[in-house]
Amino acid sequence: MTPVRPIIEAIGLEKRFAVDSGPFHPRSVVHAVDGVDLAVQPGETLALVGESGCGKSTLGRMLVGLMAPSDGDVIYGGRNLPGFSETERRKLRRDLQIIFQDPFSSLNPRMLVGDIVGEPVWLHEGLGRRARREKVADLLSLVGLAPEHAERYPHEFSGGQRQRIGIARALASRPKVIVGDEPVSALDISVQAQIVNLLEDIKQRLGLTLVVVAHGLAVIRHMSDRVAVMYLGQIVEIAPVDALFETPLHPYTQALMAANPVAAAGVRGKRRLLEGEVPSPTAPPPGCRFHTRCPHAGPLCRESRPELVAAGDEAGRQIACHFWLEISAAGSGAPGVSVRPPALTRRLSLFTAHVPTGTEDHDSRHED
Amino acid sequence: MSADPSVLPEDVVLAVEGLSIGFGGSPVNLVDGVSLTVRRGRTLAVVGESGCGKSITSLALMGLLPHPPARIGHQSARFQGIDPLTLGQRAFADLRGDRLAMIFQEPMTSLNPVFTVGDQITEVVLRHKKVGRSEALARAVKILNQVRIPAAEQRLSAYPHELSGGMRQRVMIAMALVNGPDLLIADEPTTALDVTIQAQILSLIEDLQATTGTAMLLITHDLGVVAETAHDVAVMYAGRIVESGPVEALFADPQHPYTVGLMGAMPQMGRREGRLLSIPGSVPAPALFPAGCRFATRCPFADDACRRSVPPATVVTPGHSVSCWKAPLEEHIVR
Repeated sequence: MTPVRPIIEAIGLEKRFAVDSGPFHPRSVVHAVDGVDLAVQPGETLALVGESGCGKSTLGRMLVGLMAPSDGDVIYGGRNLPGFSETERRKLRRDLQIIFQDPFSSLNPRMLVGDIVGEPVWLHEGLGRRARREKVADLLSLVGLAPEHAERYPHEFSGGQRQRIGIARALASRPKVIVGDEPVSALDISVQAQIVNLLEDIKQRLGLTLVVVAHGLAVIRHMSDRVAVMYLGQIVEIAPVDALFETPLHPYTQALMAANPVAAAGVRGKRRLLEGEVPSPTAPPPGCRFHTRCPHAGPLCRESRPELVAAGDEAGRQIACHFWLEISAAGSGAPGVSVRPPALTRRLSLFTAHVPTGTEDHDSRHED
Repeated sequence: MSADPSVLPEDVVLAVEGLSIGFGGSPVNLVDGVSLTVRRGRTLAVVGESGCGKSITSLALMGLLPHPPARIGHQSARFQGIDPLTLGQRAFADLRGDRLAMIFQEPMTSLNPVFTVGDQITEVVLRHKKVGRSEALARAVKILNQVRIPAAEQRLSAYPHELSGGMRQRVMIAMALVNGPDLLIADEPTTALDVTIQAQILSLIEDLQATTGTAMLLITHDLGVVAETAHDVAVMYAGRIVESGPVEALFADPQHPYTVGLMGAMPQMGRREGRLLSIPGSVPAPALFPAGCRFATRCPFADDACRRSVPPATVVTPGHSVSCWKAPLEEHIVR
């Protein structure tokens, strides 16, 4: 890693939620995020990956100040986010934006698209009506929609188009960092590809830093520069994307990769499966939190929590596992790389050659 | 794929020919001329994106699609010597849960929250089999063990909310399989689950199928799940099957531009190679379906003939057929 100053840095970040389970149960506490140190580098795409309940969304929200940490610091621009005043926080919102997963519930159904996208422009820049309308038209065309779409309501758009509207809204305040909370997982595959391409184009054009919270491994592999793997509120492994996918070191990362279904013929057969399920975050196991499901767990794992440490001398790799050296010596669980069959490759190149350029991501049709 | 009962091979469990489904006064069929054959011990995956008609197809086959408002038409259908699509409500209720079972996507909403797991499984047994309550309970325990639920006997008195998502889906599978059905219809059985739990459930379904020989119709949008569990595949787009065949043939030699596009849109699990291929546009609203090939509005190869007339299913290799005027692409398309 180059010694650039991180754009956002999390130090010892924790988030606890109190859960009321009913009048006859004691109040329990969920440790959604538990002691996370993480530095986001300017211009990178960092993915937070893990299964439901691992705390990835909570961490993403704390990084952009949408949620206050229970403990720990989020440093942005040399200052700690929780220490910002209300007015400063509003200014901060300009720099740090978020795109939500569900394009159906994250847009106000009673607002025109032009107002949804225009509101942050008005809030942050105080432009007049005409200038605002021009800005909205620019933003809509930036995300592959037409200016006249501003006069419509969200329900008139398909899922992919609504996600474009959400992206335009996030871009309206000219942010520096965008957190995408599962930005494509609610979309169909063909539309998902359009949005992934759009996010990458916009990131390049505007020089954004992207934090993607996701569970789809293939999308992460495609989009990100670095990946942080989370399990039960903690980061178990961080690595550059190719290193992580080619030689996953943590047993949990290996299990995630092995469980990921591969869309290629001839892959049917027995796979190494992870036993059991994620324990409840109200009573996380002591020691290494993964030890209840880990095929390599020993007595040490049940007693002491492994720290996130540099993994050997590979640049930018960190791992939290007592036995990662032994495990990696025994061979990694890297997923087989699927090779496209020749007939598919041939037809794909015909397909690409015949899609008129420029229209690829524009999509003027709409569904009712 | 013929559904004439006189020539049905013995291992065919379900054969449907020319299934069409429309709604209300709309002249457009949301499912249009779909033919499917499911064989014993094998899994047929119907794959497609939202709105392609895969779920209403499965609901119609289960007799769960109220008609009206739905209009269900078909040329022929055969399941265990009868045509299920002509059965009345009562007769269908005798079949469902017994010879024909279904697993739904959302295990929380498909289990009844106010009854215990034991109640819900024994109900299925008592409804269809002439057995007493203790025998029904014994069968429930046996099936819970088979779906690898730990401490099965204690779980009988558990309510659905006390179980995790993966465990609930196991209970759903147990309910579906307790009477030993001939055909299991699974509509997105793992979509709501995390990837490590999905892998457990898929391997469980595969093991159970190998031991019981149950035929399965798997409805999914995930080509990864298709590749890992299906024997045969039917790709649906806007209510029609555009390509079908054995899983190996479909992945090695995809013919329809939609199949090709879908496969290209999936990010590869290797080092990245530039932009993802994306299929332009989105599925048109049913009222805007073109008269000919319904993929014509998004297909980079479509011409007037495609928009005008519906391409017939043509055989590529035995068992593998495609409905496209331009297939194979390299013979019809010049760069």
